[in-house]
Amino acid sequence: MGLLTDFYNTVAKFFRPQEEIVDEASKSVATNRLKLVLMQDRTNLTPKILEQMRGELVDLLSKYLEMDKELLELNFEQEGDQVALMLSIPVIRAKDEEEIEKAIAEAAEKKAEEAVAEDEGSEEEETEETNEDSESENEDLEEEVAEAETVEESEVSEEIESVSEDMEVDANSEPVPTKTNSVKKVEKDLKESTKV
Amino acid sequence: MAGRVIVITSGKGGVGKTTTSANIGTALAKEGYKVVLIDTDLGLRNLDLLLGLENRIVYTIVDVIEERCKLKQALVKDKKNPNLSLLAAAQTRDKSAVNAEQLKEICDKLKEKNDFVLVDCPAGIEQGFQNAIAGASEAIVVTTPEMSAIRDADRIIGLLNTKEEITSTRLLLNRVRPNLIKNNEMMSVDDVVGILEIPLLGIIPEDTGIITSTNKGEPIVNDEHSLAGQAYRNIAKRTLGEEVPFLDLDEPKGIVAKIKNVFAKLKAKV
Repeated sequence: MGLLTDFYNTVAKFFRPQEEIVDEASKSVATNRLKLVLMQDRTNLTPKILEQMRGELVDLLSKYLEMDKELLELNFEQEGDQVALMLSIPVIRAKDEEEIEKAIAEAAEKKAEEAVAEDEGSEEEETEETNEDSESENEDLEEEVAEAETVEESEVSEEIESVSEDMEVDANSEPVPTKTNSVKKVEKDLKESTKV
Repeated sequence: MAGRVIVITSGKGGVGKTTTSANIGTALAKEGYKVVLIDTDLGLRNLDLLLGLENRIVYTIVDVIEERCKLKQALVKDKKNPNLSLLAAAQTRDKSAVNAEQLKEICDKLKEKNDFVLVDCPAGIEQGFQNAIAGASEAIVVTTPEMSAIRDADRIIGLLNTKEEITSTRLLLNRVRPNLIKNNEMMSVDDVVGILEIPLLGIIPEDTGIITSTNKGEPIVNDEHSLAGQAYRNIAKRTLGEEVPFLDLDEPKGIVAKIKNVFAKLKAKV
């Protein structure tokens, strides 16, 4: 579990105050709230969209990692003219190869089902309907996000996927250089593990 | 002579646009430059009060635009400094009484015979704001270290960035309270500059002297002993291109307090 030790070091580096620290200076509360609200003002990314994006990232990462979904943090940070998407995930443990393959297969199956459901037209089961709904919503979302010249989800997902894969192979996966202009890096802060 | 037209704006009301206009204008005039202040806050004029000129106003900017008087007739000279004059806003009309082109024309005329034309912008991002920035080539964004003021300033900066004519946008951080910053209860100058990311023109400490100076209709730059007055004089110098260091509002104690705070936080985590 040297992998987790390495990530624990990363934690120390990027440690940020958590909610349980009650006497957090009101100044930093203000700064953080303001940064978030300005990001929304500047990009038209609404809290709803951010929440949706967060949800999709959780789904994706769940394939590879067992994590504390409640504590996952998704934030934008401004560095000069560029915007960085900061993702902080408290990892409980990394899944093993078998589990990952299983998760990927499941996801592929689900996707195939959806495609079939779409072809079949209007008479689907309730669950499939929901899937389709959420997918079309996602498409809308993608358009909107791309319009705002910020983060196009699918690309973010790609990035994160590659990060996760790196993690399986190489424990030193640090901030990954990205292909997109808007997303400069995706950093992963790994917080305390319950099974170190 | 082609003077500089500088708009003083903020988005949010009550952060000190008018006080800033009056003080920078007065300070520049004291340096020997010819300055005209334009109050574009139609219906809510106040610049005249801050300069103590409220009893001398005969014609307003609307009278000029509607050609009831010459531009020169509407300029009210300052009591103390003949270099400084005011073009007052109309109190009985609203923002729709003038348009951006008319205001630009006035700015263009005034800059021919003056070194500086300072435009005091109304709060908001509507017509009044569009009018005020129409003739300007530079902008000073006034804000305070409060979330609402900073958010509005960010919006204003975004709007100013879309206007090609405005080549310089600088930040004036008003009502800074070093004591609160020391205790991490107020955003620091660095925090605000880091968020808004425009060059800093000046920092004005909170100063109760501003209240008495407004009461008297006497800009605080005329008070040689006031810290805020000194800060405004420095800003005027920086506007003229001089390099003046920022007032040191953080005493060394501030750093110690910060370190203490860090330790306190670490302790809380352990």
